[in-house]
Amino acid sequence: MHPILADRDRLLLYLTAWLPIAGLLTGLFVFVGQLDWGEAILVALPLTMVYAFLCLSAWYLCKAFPLGKTGMLRLFGIHAVAAIISSSLWTVMGRGLALALSAFPAFAATDGHFRVQTPLLMGVGILLFILAVVGHYLLGMIESSREAERHVLEMKVLAREAELRALRAQIDPHFLFNSLNSISALTAIDPAASRTMCQLLADFLRKSLDLGIRDCIPLDEEFALASSYLTIEQVRLGSRLKVSKEIDEASRSCLVPPLLLQPLMENAIHHGIAHLIDGGEIRIAAARPGERLSIVVENPCDPDRPRGNGGGIGLANVRGRLDTIYGSDAWLEVESGQDRFRVLVSLPAREQGHYERKPAGQS
Amino acid sequence: MKENQPGSLRAVIVDDEELARAILREYLSARSDIEIVAECANGFAAVKAISELKPDLLLLDVQMPKLNGFEVLELIEPGPAVIFTTAYDQYALRAFEVHAVDYLLKPFSAERLGRALDLAGQRLAQAENMPVADLVQDVRRHNKPLERILIRDGPKVHVIPAEKIDYFEAQDDYVSIKTGGKGHLKQETLANLEDLLDQGRFIRIHRSYILNIERLARLELYAKDSRVAILLDGTRLPVSRSGYARLKPLL
Repeated sequence: MHPILADRDRLLLYLTAWLPIAGLLTGLFVFVGQLDWGEAILVALPLTMVYAFLCLSAWYLCKAFPLGKTGMLRLFGIHAVAAIISSSLWTVMGRGLALALSAFPAFAATDGHFRVQTPLLMGVGILLFILAVVGHYLLGMIESSREAERHVLEMKVLAREAELRALRAQIDPHFLFNSLNSISALTAIDPAASRTMCQLLADFLRKSLDLGIRDCIPLDEEFALASSYLTIEQVRLGSRLKVSKEIDEASRSCLVPPLLLQPLMENAIHHGIAHLIDGGEIRIAAARPGERLSIVVENPCDPDRPRGNGGGIGLANVRGRLDTIYGSDAWLEVESGQDRFRVLVSLPAREQGHYERKPAGQS
Repeated sequence: MKENQPGSLRAVIVDDEELARAILREYLSARSDIEIVAECANGFAAVKAISELKPDLLLLDVQMPKLNGFEVLELIEPGPAVIFTTAYDQYALRAFEVHAVDYLLKPFSAERLGRALDLAGQRLAQAENMPVADLVQDVRRHNKPLERILIRDGPKVHVIPAEKIDYFEAQDDYVSIKTGGKGHLKQETLANLEDLLDQGRFIRIHRSYILNIERLARLELYAKDSRVAILLDGTRLPVSRSGYARLKPLL
């Protein structure tokens, strides 16, 4: 179905566009031919409207013979023949109309006046049809470029989704193996503790699975997940791992991507606490200065630790996620001191109601 | 190497996690042929205990504070049979390159540990002399470029991060490692170190010297074809002609 015929508003607009053409034709009939105003209007207006529909047939021709795929000469021939045929049809219809008008005594001379105009009408008809062909080709081009644009946009969205999926934090499997080993040890020493550990681990896994499929979660839930992770690690590392939290009440309801902090927690243990004989304290802080949310994860580290292996991937992933979701509106700063390591994440403070504009990847 | 009562193996457990040590203790308590002589929670303690107690068997974790399992092996006298215990599977290849008897992935069963212990017993009974000196070189090739230098000073272990080293000086069979005005001796050859160190930072400027170029303040012409490197702290080191050729593109 022709896109103009498919939509009433479009059809109305299209026909309106033909009104000036009807006016021009009327003028031609009056000034070049010998028709008087009344005759000219009565003939030109219906004739133009009919031709408006006739010209829509060019769409099918344009579809059947797309530009670039058909030889120029062939294209020219086809459209010329089509133009002559439709214009002839039009002229015959005009003649019929004039004849019909002549039946009325007031317009007895119309056919006589009109007959002289036949070549003019024929010429105008061919011209209009060719214009219609050109118009349709233009329409097609605009449509296909818009299509291409949409395709590019779609590809972009898909790529972003894939990127987000790739960056989505994954639980380190070694954490599971180590925890299972702790449980295995506890079953003989302290069965009650081993049961608690099973529950902690199940709790953590369930939470991480639940949160992982959501697009954003309140910071509070993210911290709850981090807490259960650290509690499990405390069973493994014993008194070596201490945790302190300074969480600003106003920051708790801010939305963050799920598991955003998980890699930071894992790093703090893997590259910090685990390298220290006596362990140390992981400090977690969150504040909400104005429209920003800032989260700090800080841990002590061994000044003689081997550098430059591992840790970078986790941080790069967090950075990548922030960048994909927030663009330049969020960032991650790393301060790597002699014996302290500090990561600051800064992102816009958004809350549930505030989140009408969803980040990409959830349409 | 085995001076204790026949049939019984003297074992040292090295793991930084109390629970991981506990499970080994539990499994081993069921075996009359194994005697635990020490438990160590970090690499330093392990090196000290192993050199004092000369055990037959090491149950060794890989990731530990200060020194990892491989670094512990680098610092001890060859001899003990080694069973690695870790949650990580990516070190398995390296473990067998240092001729570990077995590589156990946590959590493992008592039976699995039992098989490893039997294997260790056989290995020790055959009195297979493991060419550990070569092995250590092998291990270290995998560590390239060397990020830190380990030095044993009696029971004490020094870990010196590569970037803190000013220069190395050859002294007979030893290399003196200079850092912040202090020197540590290590039995090593300069050629070996040159090969293992980060070639973008450490340059062999002379037959007897490797320099950390970040410590270089300037070069002075001393005589024809002979230059002297002046370090940030004022130390003067000779630069040979070939040393200058190596240094020039980096300046």
